[in-house]
Amino acid sequence: MAQQPVERFETVILPYLDDAYTLARYLLKDEHDAQDVVQEAALRAFRHFHQLRDGEPRAWFLAIVRNCCFTWRRRNWKDRLVVPFEDHLHTNVDESRSADAQAIEQSDRAAVERAVAALPLEFREVIVLREIQDLSYAEIAAIVGVPVGTVMSRLSRARRRVAAALGAGAQEAS
Amino acid sequence: MRCAECRERLDAYLDGELTPVESEMVRGHVEQCTNCGHEHAVLSATSRRLRDGLMYYEAPDMLRARIVSALSRPAKPADRVVSPWVRWSRLAAAALVIAVASSGLTVAVLHREDTTRAVADDVLASHVRSLMPGHLTDVASNDQHNVKPWFNGRVDLSPPVPRLDSAGFPLLGGRLDYVASRQVAAVIYGRRQHIITVYSWSSPGDDEPQSSLSTQGYHMMRWRSGRVESWVISDLNAGELAQFVALFRRNAA
Repeated sequence: MAQQPVERFETVILPYLDDAYTLARYLLKDEHDAQDVVQEAALRAFRHFHQLRDGEPRAWFLAIVRNCCFTWRRRNWKDRLVVPFEDHLHTNVDESRSADAQAIEQSDRAAVERAVAALPLEFREVIVLREIQDLSYAEIAAIVGVPVGTVMSRLSRARRRVAAALGAGAQEAS
Repeated sequence: MRCAECRERLDAYLDGELTPVESEMVRGHVEQCTNCGHEHAVLSATSRRLRDGLMYYEAPDMLRARIVSALSRPAKPADRVVSPWVRWSRLAAAALVIAVASSGLTVAVLHREDTTRAVADDVLASHVRSLMPGHLTDVASNDQHNVKPWFNGRVDLSPPVPRLDSAGFPLLGGRLDYVASRQVAAVIYGRRQHIITVYSWSSPGDDEPQSSLSTQGYHMMRWRSGRVESWVISDLNAGELAQFVALFRRNAA
C-alpha cells in the first residue's frame, strides 16, 4: 500500500525527468547543479504530489523545477561567479574548420547555444519552454507565474535578441 | 491591419497562439507589407535555428537512480538524498569497531555480525567466481518461464525471477551456487556491461529490513522477507543497484 504513491509518481512524473533536467541545465548552466536541483525538485514534487489532482503533470512538475532553480540561484549567487563568454575569443576556432559541413553545423549550434546562454534569465526560460519544450503560452505563463501577455512580450524580445546575436537578419533578409 | 499591430502579434502568429481571425489578418498583412514580411522571415528563421540548435538533455541514469532510490525509502522529508551509502558505511564501520573492541559482551549481536560477514564473503567469492568464463549461468535464458522452473527440485525454494527488461535490467539466467554452507539459487541480471547476481535461500526468522555494504568495489544489499534471505551483489554503482533492488522487490511478489 505504501508503495502506491511511489509507483504513481514514477509513472506520472518521472517520464518528464528529461524535460526537467533540460530546463535546469539552461537555467543553471551547470550539469552538476542541474542534477542536484532536479533531484531536490523531484522529491519536493513527490511530497506535494497530492496537490496535482487533475492538473497537467508536465507543467506542474516543470513549475516546481523552475522554482527550485530560482531558489537555488538566490542561495548560491551564481551569476557573480560566471565568467562571461566572449564571442570573439571563441569563434575563430569554429570558423577555421568551416570547410567541413558538420563543423559548420556544430558551430551554428554553438552560436545558438551561446546566444541563448547570454540572455537574461527571464528571457532564457521562455525560450527554453517554448522552443525546446514546445509549451503553449498559457502553460508557460503558469510555470513562470506571469500573465500570458508577459510571456508573449518576453518571448518576442528574447527572439529578437537572439536574432541580433546570430545575425539572422543579414542571413535571411537577402 | 497596421504595421505596429502586426509586429506585436508576429510571435503569437508564429506560435499558433492567435485566434483564426487574427491569424488570417496577420497573414494577409505579412504577404503584402515588405517590412513586416521581412520581420516575419527573420523571426521564423530564428525560431527554427533555436529549435534545431538547442540541446535537449537526457537526465543522467545516475540522477534517475538517485531519485528512485530516495522515493522508495520511507519518507523522511528533510533528508538530502545523496547518500544512503555513506550512512551505511558508517554503520558498517561502527559494527566493525564494536566487533573488534568487544570480546565478551553482546555475544548475540556479534555472532550475527560475524555470520553476516561470513555470508558476505561467500557471496562476494561466488559472484567473482561466476564472472570467469563459462561460470555465469547453468541455465542461460532471458525468459523467466525457463529460469524459474529450472530451480524446481534443485533448491528448497522457488526464487523470485521478475522480468525487469523494460527498466534496463535484462534477465540473463540462473545457476546453483553454494553460499553460507548450503545450495542457493542465483538469478543473474545484466545492466550494460555489469552483472548483478541475486542469491536467495530459505531462512527461518523474522523479516529483516534491507541493509547494504560495500567491499572491494562491489556493492551488496541483503534483506529477509517471508522466510527467504536475499543477497544482491554487483559492481554496478550504488544508485543503480538501489534502483534495481527497489524494482526487484516490488516485482518479486
